[in-house]
Amino acid sequence: MTLPLVLVALFGLLLAGVPVAFALGGIGLGMLIAGGFSPLMAPQAILSTLDGFILLAVPLFLLMSNVLLKGGVGRDLFAAVQAWVGHWPGGLAVATILSCALFAAISGSSVATAATIGTVAIPEMIQRGYGHRFVYGLLAAGGTLGILIPPSIPMIVYGFVTEQSVIQLFLAGIGPGIVLVTLFVLFAMAHARWFGGYEAVAKASRRERLRASWRALPSVGLALLVILGLYSGAFTPTEAAAIGFAAALVITVVVLRTLTWKGFREAVVESAITTVAILLIVAGAKVFGKAIALYRIPQDISSLITNTIDGPAMFILVVAGVLLIMGLVFEALSMILIMTPVLLPAAMGLGFDPIWFGIFMVIMVEVALITPPVGLNLYVIQSVARASLGDVARGVWPFLLLMLVTVGVLYAIPDLALYIPFKW
Amino acid sequence: MAFVTTVSKMAGLLGAILLALTGAMLTYEVVARYFFLKPTIWAAELSQLCLIWGCLLAMAHVLAIRRHITVNAVTNLLPQQAQRVFAAGALITVIVFCAIIAVYGWEIFYTSWERGRTTGSILNLPMWIVELSVPTGFALLGAQAVVELLRLREDGTTRLGSSHE
Repeated sequence: MTLPLVLVALFGLLLAGVPVAFALGGIGLGMLIAGGFSPLMAPQAILSTLDGFILLAVPLFLLMSNVLLKGGVGRDLFAAVQAWVGHWPGGLAVATILSCALFAAISGSSVATAATIGTVAIPEMIQRGYGHRFVYGLLAAGGTLGILIPPSIPMIVYGFVTEQSVIQLFLAGIGPGIVLVTLFVLFAMAHARWFGGYEAVAKASRRERLRASWRALPSVGLALLVILGLYSGAFTPTEAAAIGFAAALVITVVVLRTLTWKGFREAVVESAITTVAILLIVAGAKVFGKAIALYRIPQDISSLITNTIDGPAMFILVVAGVLLIMGLVFEALSMILIMTPVLLPAAMGLGFDPIWFGIFMVIMVEVALITPPVGLNLYVIQSVARASLGDVARGVWPFLLLMLVTVGVLYAIPDLALYIPFKW
Repeated sequence: MAFVTTVSKMAGLLGAILLALTGAMLTYEVVARYFFLKPTIWAAELSQLCLIWGCLLAMAHVLAIRRHITVNAVTNLLPQQAQRVFAAGALITVIVFCAIIAVYGWEIFYTSWERGRTTGSILNLPMWIVELSVPTGFALLGAQAVVELLRLREDGTTRLGSSHE
């Protein structure tokens, strides 16, 4: 009886426009009071959330990517990749995907990735005659790589709430990330072959290539430093993020000399705003999580699922369906924070690895965010490209199918995610 | 009203500086560990303190500039007048939540203050230094929410936040 009531109250508040953090925290607090538990647990839960060392990585990774962004690294990356692959069939499209993948390795957000590369790549591709819808779909899909290729803010948060290793999650994202990049690149080349219609880019000279690569090299080096440092255990994710921030400052201030004082200030303020928005939701979810645990709701849902759902495949399909519906109105983090505490016990009961389930959630959430007719990331592309929502939605279909194929492969071969963190 | 907004803005700026400072401290920690072979005893603890205070100080300003993550998809479909009613309801929810959290947060702080509890970590800081952040931050956020509620009649914005970050 409590479960439907809680769900109605929660989604009622969320859809009525109460900020997600306060809707989650408010329902949690209300449940504590109504159930005769001490309300002191709510402020304690907020404090203990912000006291998590791993969550320090959130502001630091944001600072790192915002500093690089203000230093114009997005443009540099695109120019460098384009100098190498621009003359291939569909070269600009390939360059767009590859720069999204590179940018994803220094940024933990899909919206930032799509917006950064989009502002550079969209005008260029349209000017060269690429189909509008194809371009929009490409960017929406490329943005997905932002949270799949480490660092990834949703993975940090998933690791925090499930008490799983963030390093393992980061490493597990690499395999599926590479598969997605490969599929997107192959599709872009095939699309260019079959439909053509674009104006090819001349092959860049050796000199141009070297010059463009030189500017992008420090950022690529930084991405490698972060991931190798994590892999070797030289530093924790939080320390990696701190080093990344410091190195980003060195790159943009000393090496490239592109970061202004104003740009730095904006990067600091923007990072703080995003950090607060994200971490307060995590804190709200912690209050909510504490309350539903006291009411034994996760256990109820878990037994409900194991009693009604027949086998792991059916479970995955149901979860995917629920996420698709939530993707109509929610962004990635809220979906992960609301669904994970409820679903993970059931998933583990069915024999899924918690790291694997995290990667599955991250990809599925991204799929949900670009599934037409309504998906939050479709709006991002729409506003970056100043296009119609219909065009964006129609362009996204082939990429959506490729992502679902990847999810299918991930389900059939869990090692796609688990090989690098556990068996390498 | 302008006073509260100014205080929020200053607190937000201070919060942003605290968050950026964590980067300096933790970088120093790694450098000290690998190059001077002498890890610090303060970097991890103080940067955590900065994260707690930084976030809680800045959240009022984040409300003032409407950047808390909010689902706008449904309320956006409503006429302006109805949107305003929903925004008022949402702000009242935030105010009630803040008031309760601030009161109980104060209780936690006050108990530690009275009993002289400490963190028990290497630096062994008094607990209240950490715990005072909750009543402070939520009182400020509550006050800012009251200001936003009063401004709702003249101000055009009925969204409490953005739909993504």
